[in-house]
Amino acid sequence: MKVAYWPGCVSRGFTPELHGSMAKVAPLLDIELVQLDRASCCGAGVIAEHNQELADTLNARTFALAQQVDGAELMMNICSTCQGAQGECQERLDSSAEYRAQVNSTLADEGLSYEKGLTNKNFLWLLVEEIGLEKLSGMVKRPLTNLKVGPFYGCYIVRPRDRLGIDEEHPRDHYLEQLIETLGGTVIEYAGMRKCCGFPIITMNKEASLKQAGRHLGDAVDADADCLVTPCPLCHLNLDMQQPLAEKVVGRELNMPVLHLPQLVGLALGLEPKELGLSRHVVKPTSVIDWSTSVVGAAA
Amino acid sequence: MPAHDVLIIGAGLAGQRAALAAAKAGASVAILSKVHPVRSHSVAAAGGINAAINVADDWRSHAYDTVKGSDFLGDQDAIEIMCSEAPKEVMHLEHIGVTFHRNDSGELDLRAFGGASMKRTAYVADITGQAILHVLYEQLMKHHEQVERYEEWFVTSLLQDDSGRCCGVVARDVRSGRMETLQAKNVILACGGAGQVYSPTTNALIVTGDGIAQAYRIGAPLMDMEMVQYHPTTLVENGLLITEGARGEGATLLNSEGERFMEKYAPNKMELASRDVVSRAEQTEILEGRGVGANKDGIYLDITKVPRKRTLEALREIVNIGKDFAGVDITREPIMIRPGQHYIMGGVKTDVNGATPIEGLYAAGEVACVSVHGGNRLGANSLLDTLIFGRRAGEHAAARAASMGLPDTSDAQLREDVATIDAIIARPRTGRRVSEIKQELGETMNQYVAVYRDQEGLEQAHEIVKRLQAESKDAYIDDKGAVFNQDVLGAIELGYMLDCAEATVVAAIERKESRGAQFRTDFPERNDAEWLKHIDISLNGDGPQISYSAVTMTQWEPEERKY
Amino acid sequence: MAETHKPPERFTLRMRRYDPESGEAPYWDEHTIELEPHRSVLEGILQAKAKFDGSIGIRCSCRAAICGSCGVRINGEPGLACHTHLDHARASSKDGVIEVEPMGNMPVIKDMIVDMDAVHWKKVQRVTPWLINEGPQPEREHLVPRESMVDITQTMACIQCGACVSDCLAMEVDPGFIGPAALAKAYRFVGDPRDEEQRERLLDLSEDPQGIYDCTHCFKCVEACPKDVNPMGQIMRLRRIAGADQHINDQNNGHRHEETVVTLIKDYGLLHEAEMIPRSYGGNSWFGKFHPAAGKELLSSLPVAIRGIAKRKMSIKIAIFGHKIPKQDLNAVKRIYEKVESKPERYELNLYVSGVDEDAEQTPVGVGSEEGSAK
Repeated sequence: MKVAYWPGCVSRGFTPELHGSMAKVAPLLDIELVQLDRASCCGAGVIAEHNQELADTLNARTFALAQQVDGAELMMNICSTCQGAQGECQERLDSSAEYRAQVNSTLADEGLSYEKGLTNKNFLWLLVEEIGLEKLSGMVKRPLTNLKVGPFYGCYIVRPRDRLGIDEEHPRDHYLEQLIETLGGTVIEYAGMRKCCGFPIITMNKEASLKQAGRHLGDAVDADADCLVTPCPLCHLNLDMQQPLAEKVVGRELNMPVLHLPQLVGLALGLEPKELGLSRHVVKPTSVIDWSTSVVGAAA
Repeated sequence: MPAHDVLIIGAGLAGQRAALAAAKAGASVAILSKVHPVRSHSVAAAGGINAAINVADDWRSHAYDTVKGSDFLGDQDAIEIMCSEAPKEVMHLEHIGVTFHRNDSGELDLRAFGGASMKRTAYVADITGQAILHVLYEQLMKHHEQVERYEEWFVTSLLQDDSGRCCGVVARDVRSGRMETLQAKNVILACGGAGQVYSPTTNALIVTGDGIAQAYRIGAPLMDMEMVQYHPTTLVENGLLITEGARGEGATLLNSEGERFMEKYAPNKMELASRDVVSRAEQTEILEGRGVGANKDGIYLDITKVPRKRTLEALREIVNIGKDFAGVDITREPIMIRPGQHYIMGGVKTDVNGATPIEGLYAAGEVACVSVHGGNRLGANSLLDTLIFGRRAGEHAAARAASMGLPDTSDAQLREDVATIDAIIARPRTGRRVSEIKQELGETMNQYVAVYRDQEGLEQAHEIVKRLQAESKDAYIDDKGAVFNQDVLGAIELGYMLDCAEATVVAAIERKESRGAQFRTDFPERNDAEWLKHIDISLNGDGPQISYSAVTMTQWEPEERKY
Repeated sequence: MAETHKPPERFTLRMRRYDPESGEAPYWDEHTIELEPHRSVLEGILQAKAKFDGSIGIRCSCRAAICGSCGVRINGEPGLACHTHLDHARASSKDGVIEVEPMGNMPVIKDMIVDMDAVHWKKVQRVTPWLINEGPQPEREHLVPRESMVDITQTMACIQCGACVSDCLAMEVDPGFIGPAALAKAYRFVGDPRDEEQRERLLDLSEDPQGIYDCTHCFKCVEACPKDVNPMGQIMRLRRIAGADQHINDQNNGHRHEETVVTLIKDYGLLHEAEMIPRSYGGNSWFGKFHPAAGKELLSSLPVAIRGIAKRKMSIKIAIFGHKIPKQDLNAVKRIYEKVESKPERYELNLYVSGVDEDAEQTPVGVGSEEGSAK
């Protein structure tokens, strides 16, 4: 399937392994990624904090660009924060024809226009809803047997439920668990699964920010997870890159590797850890895979 | 022993307003409430507050509407005071921060309400009670040094000194179970009505007639207890209130034939006739087989007529109620309602300053009967009543306190109440459970003492109430603890409810006519010649004793009441 | 008609009990009640109280989601017991049994009753929760724009139930955080044209390290609130007004951070992570990184940066120069900034007030039409 692909900013900045692994995994899943190179940052909720109309207009532009991709079935993002931030803007844009017209008049300078009703799905949702877990399970070459994975969703993709379309038919706040099982792994449930990594306040209250990251990582350690998996690169920054600092704040060793979603999927589909960028993590995923033998869950 | 100039029981609108007024007048004030003040039932009042603030309006018009609404049982001097002081009170509320809705010129916007001859109801969406209550509580927080708050304390007795003056209360700190005597020069009862006597009722679980019963037990007379208002639009699902404001915004009532039946009963005011008229109309439609719903015991309230944006802005709460409790989007389909118990016009008899015949004991708000509502209360007059008479009682009590010493009290009542509570806790499990008795009481009242009453039914109710009173003395509870023992408080509240029920039934039997909310199928006409008077009930020995008091008339003679 | 009257069913409630007088630890207590499925969890608990055990402690009063007494956690999520249907609660439970516990972040007094004075009310009192308007009062009402009263009705709708405080994730790690309920209440005054202390309030709440910039933006309170008060949204409005209108440059880097992100996206079209951190501390300009505050932060972040570069997580090029969108598109972005930010007044659409167009599909974002079309 062809998708209008919004990779976000951080996947091309401080978490390039996310961008790279997505590029490697897509062809295996028959996804043609048409990258929206011209689009701008979703604002991560911060631009909306500053000026709502500005955030709505910038994202309407992204949506309009996505709608121009010929033959694309939908727009896909690889970041919980983009999903949430863009979703909030889209909700406003879709709610009022008058407002949409106002925003579109700003986009008209560029010859762009957003038409109501865009479908914007995170890669996680696409896996479950567009590809399907049954089909996916048939593609698994290296089942994640013995791998105990803890899901870390990221706030922006699980709250508020109504706006994110989470209901009984679409239990999107349980997709990571379903996915992990489909790929052959063991789901580890722990207290911090759907809590906040702390990234939004890293500059305002560093201690509180890293305490959150540290606690949730610690909960996963206590629940005996081998690693976490997350669909959000901003969470990844606070959980992986900042893990050494988080350890100091909560006063305990953590050693909890955090995988990006495409990396977990890629491993199960038979890709090699190095090509998935697993060596680039600050917390080396040694408990995930034996580098020499490619056996998953090799470490005890 | 804590002592204050003015001790207020109940922290709803009347109580909080009294506290602020008394504090402003320089008295030492304490306010006591069995729940946190913002949980008081005033919070559920929705539609608005009446005042003749429109320059084209006149408080005398408001007063006349109120007199007519009361079916001429209201005391006109009190009504004149309430209506003439209303504009100033509403402006005061605006000044302390109530977020009233505005018109395009930035002035207070006014909506239509039942029984009103012109639009004079100021409102905050449909959360007016909540908005005012929270703003008053903000003021109490601001003035925390002048008003001491006893939050989650439960009064078990009113105290009297040897000469019969009220001089304080015995109360329980619910959190710890500790009982204390609180002395006061003046006590203002502001504990609300007695809706839980009925089932279903729009009233909260805390509305158990505490103040009415406590005053009654120390000899204060009750007045107009037969006047119980059934609100026309309560949810069939669970008895919850759908505000009159909906009809004020243009919603209509329809029967099973889709007709706007109010045309037959009140061709002029239609859905905005006075509440007793509308409730009776609905009840008649239901009794005559034109009800809707699976049991044909409902009526459709159609709010789809109101523009959607207006509904979201001004009737937000009922959008929520429809969605959460009835699974209905009121902007797209009608909602099923029926008449349900809502308010009691009767209560502790007071004068226009909130003073009862017992020295040192005041009452204001729904607990009191001044009477401004007579046989039927107009919508949006209750919020007004609580504030006007709450303020007056607070001022009057403060003034009285300034010129007197603290009466003597002893710990005798405290010891007695502690023993009573211990006894309740120790009761053997041989009788009935408190909840069972309460349930039977509620169903009985809703069956025999409701919109349509007759001698046989009322006597039946009386027998049942007396039996339940006897059974309540053996009713057992489960909780033996001291910390937050809600069980034992429930047993005490049951006693209060039964006293209120008895007074209501006795008064209803006594009044052999139909007036306002009392409709007797055996006496369907209003009879001014014999019954243009209040029925007073006082405790004499073990039982209720009836007497009468005159209705004060200033400007308006009774006339035929048509809407 | 949408009302479905199913017959009564049996539901099992698992309630968290705690008897402070017993000296025992809290424990779970199960009771099975029978009610129609659309009735509330509170009604279920009250039936258990009435029939089985009158000592079960829960605050409740109105049963209509307006008094705010019955805040609890149901299946781990905060909300009102009177407002939660039995069938929904069972469906969202782990094992078919409805779990009810006291709210979080507050000490437990007994069973499901918490000490709100110690936490919730203390924080509310912290924000000076009364109108400050000291001058001579007009004879009639203050004239204020209609929209302003409609706007603050959203925060006036708060019933002080504590559900947002119960599960606030920032408060969980930082108990001194002023929190969603109190800050929403603060907006009620900041947004009220009659209040005379807008600037003072915002200065206070911006400079307080546990004020508006301590919110971790996790949406928990938005979801918890039974009245759509949107506490987090109100906190964001306070930030907006503090920064843009009152020009408050707080010591917590909150405003600088906001300005930094906004400016970087204008200049690059994308986030420049390496610039974001120093500028948030030192000031929103290229020179910001030379400010002593930024220097201190950079120094402490040096190990993080070195590690990242060593693992080839980020290239030095990205770290120093960031990455940009194509020039033409960057110009378009700049034009959008200029056009929107030059408007004399910010335009804010609040769905609470405006609702959704009559014909708008109620389908949430990302579900779209059956074919899932991007068009």
